[in-house]
Amino acid sequence: MRPRLALPLLLLLLALAFLASLAFGELRLSFSQVLNALGGGGDELARTVVRDFRLPRALIGLAAGAALGASGVVMQAFFRNPLASPGLLGVSSGGALGAVAVLALGPMAGFAAATLWALPVASILGAFAATGAVLMLAQRGAGTERLLLSGVALNALLGAGTSFLLTTTVGHFEVNAQILFWLMGGLESRAWEHVAMAVPGILVACLLLLPLGRAMNLLSLGEQSARSLGVDVRRLRRQLIVLSTLLTALATAVAGIIGFVGLVVPHVLRLAFGPDHRRLLPYSMLGGATFLLACDLVTRVFPLGLRLGVVTALIGGPFFLWLLRRPR
Amino acid sequence: MTAALHAAGLRVPGRLEPLDLDIGPGELVAVVGPNGAGKSTLLQALAGLLECEGAVAWEGRPLHRIPAIERGRLLAWVGQEAHFEFAFPVREVVAQGRYAWDDDPSGIAEALAELDLTHLADRPVTRLSGGERHRVGLARALATQAPIQLWDEPVAQLDVRHALEVLRLARQRVDAGGTLLVSLHDLRAAYRFDRVLVLDRGSLVGNGPPHDILTAPLIREVFRVEATFVQSLVPELPRD
Amino acid sequence: MRTLLLLLSFLMALPLAAAGPRRVVSKAVGTDELLLALADPGQIAALSHISHDAEFSPVAVEARRFPAIKDSDAESVLRFRPDLVLAASYTRPETLALLRRAKVRLVVLDRFDTLEDVFASLRLVGQELGQAARAENLIRSCRARVERLAARLSGARPVRVLSAGIYPFTSGTGTTFQDLCDHAGAVNVGAEAGLQGQAPTPSEKLLTWNVEALVTTNDPDIQARLGEIPHYRALKAFQAGRLVKLPGPLMSSVSHHRIEAYELLARALHPDRFP
Repeated sequence: MRPRLALPLLLLLLALAFLASLAFGELRLSFSQVLNALGGGGDELARTVVRDFRLPRALIGLAAGAALGASGVVMQAFFRNPLASPGLLGVSSGGALGAVAVLALGPMAGFAAATLWALPVASILGAFAATGAVLMLAQRGAGTERLLLSGVALNALLGAGTSFLLTTTVGHFEVNAQILFWLMGGLESRAWEHVAMAVPGILVACLLLLPLGRAMNLLSLGEQSARSLGVDVRRLRRQLIVLSTLLTALATAVAGIIGFVGLVVPHVLRLAFGPDHRRLLPYSMLGGATFLLACDLVTRVFPLGLRLGVVTALIGGPFFLWLLRRPR
Repeated sequence: MTAALHAAGLRVPGRLEPLDLDIGPGELVAVVGPNGAGKSTLLQALAGLLECEGAVAWEGRPLHRIPAIERGRLLAWVGQEAHFEFAFPVREVVAQGRYAWDDDPSGIAEALAELDLTHLADRPVTRLSGGERHRVGLARALATQAPIQLWDEPVAQLDVRHALEVLRLARQRVDAGGTLLVSLHDLRAAYRFDRVLVLDRGSLVGNGPPHDILTAPLIREVFRVEATFVQSLVPELPRD
Repeated sequence: MRTLLLLLSFLMALPLAAAGPRRVVSKAVGTDELLLALADPGQIAALSHISHDAEFSPVAVEARRFPAIKDSDAESVLRFRPDLVLAASYTRPETLALLRRAKVRLVVLDRFDTLEDVFASLRLVGQELGQAARAENLIRSCRARVERLAARLSGARPVRVLSAGIYPFTSGTGTTFQDLCDHAGAVNVGAEAGLQGQAPTPSEKLLTWNVEALVTTNDPDIQARLGEIPHYRALKAFQAGRLVKLPGPLMSSVSHHRIEAYELLARALHPDRFP
């Protein structure tokens, strides 16, 4: 497909998904009501629903989707493998452990421990701690295999930690349910505070990532050749790890664990528009945002009690399997 | 005259014993030795791609003082493996050679033509044969127009026509003032180089003109084979 | 002569048989409450593993006089060599199966939504313990209490309430909250809107329901925590501070102690009826 059509097409799809997220929901609102509400007019109910419920939720869906899409591209370039995903280095597991720790230990430490900010902050801290641990495990100047294996080990360890915390809350049925809900990802009860927490950071990280596309092209075809061609590989890898971790950590902190966005979206866009990272990065941000908003819409429109992470897996999983079966 | 490539006490623990080396500008040097002798290691170390002990300098400048971007302009390295994971078109891969020159496109078309890749320019690099991919790597290195070039086994996977073509290009580059260090398996081709470096189990055991170094005793000792060069039968390398 | 001896031994055995089980273990908080209310202290071998925890158990103080089982598995129960085990239906089926296999007499209570369900359970447990009379007395006094409450509230317009909490669930029909509303002069708006059981909170529809007051647990920062959730923040009732806070264990009590919750809620919703 011709790359020139890509950007307008992706922007259009994102705009549609965003508008649909504002227009559809439990409450039936007409398009004009939605537009009025956005403008500040219309009746109070519509205004509240659109501006205080759906708008923050849509913004977070957009930001988290963009973050995961971008992070997926970075991981795939970094590991020179189109099957890499944001969670490889334990970022999501670390974020999960942080959040679950707050949910599980919060009631015991007293309610005050688990305020609105505590959970996302703990999640971000957990995510960074996990990445730090992986880097330490793999030691300085680590090759990609070393990093990968450290990531695998850490993912397992963190998963065990999370399960342990889950068992300690078995008596507190509601806490248990809350934890499971978070682990399956979701955008309910997202408020403007969550937007303030995640969106600026994600925006900045995405902007910082875009100019690295050129160097990522070289890195994706070989670390040594990239270095020989003039890329400061050590510095680039550091930048990529930090930005990818930040993006995944922020997305996970406000939306829970959501898989397949970072894996499937970049992969599909690469197949459609080519591997040039100068284009793939912005496309994956737009595509990731659109995909996530679409999945969230599904959870709200079809009252089957499906969680967001479940929908992304139900769509992404089979799609991914189909991708694997195609001849190279 | 400052050496193009200078190494003093260059050592890679477990793979390369300490060695000293000076390769002047305008020299075409072959690196030979049995498998595992350390040829690739030597090239990578000289190219600054490996942690090593000792000092390495390019055109008189210590390696650690040369900023990353400038390294791209001074020296080009082509590895043994020609694996490309992502389906960039050949032209774009070769264009990556211009990274250190801010993507200025001059020289790309020539590099493609020199490696007989013009007709493959728009094909995804993942859909090429092994030999074709090696040529893409070489074209990318040529596109950098770096005066110092280090090629690791560049002709091993090429058919005879392209192999000879690459050796001709090498000689052409050197005649124009460049420096080329090439690791080879084929001793007969090495015989036509200006200088040959012989590695055996990590040690530099020979450093000089080929007819001085590649004697029967050395070949027996290093390569464990009885062989001599019959001067009159050594093939001429193609010249312009 | 022989018949007389037989008759005598039979008569002497009767009191022993009527004494009831001597080592009863309760596996759930709900059955703790029933056991404590009906059994002689000497009959209780152990209570549930969270019976001493005031966060869950309305009878924590009283429960501390008795040992608690360490864990909720079958082994922890069997340690006390019980002759009767009281369990609730939400106990893990594997545990129940193991207990049955150990040939222990097991009574499983599965209905506790309404007060009538509780009375039925009281009767059943009373029967098992050999305390049928005590059970009937308790039931009678409970009914009297409830009737007094109903009398106080007669004619009062029921207040429209909704259960609120930091977890994304709302109580609909068939919950203890529904039972609470029925006896405290309140209308469960969630049930009216069609929610059944503990249902996911419909955050947008919520705004269209006419909610006069929110009922929640009395944790110290509950107000702040609810305020962080957009759909509660937007409710008029929340903004006007119309929150009724009840002690958690009472609110979700599955025994007759819920009557205390009825009274607390009624008092909060209809202050004019309680001079």
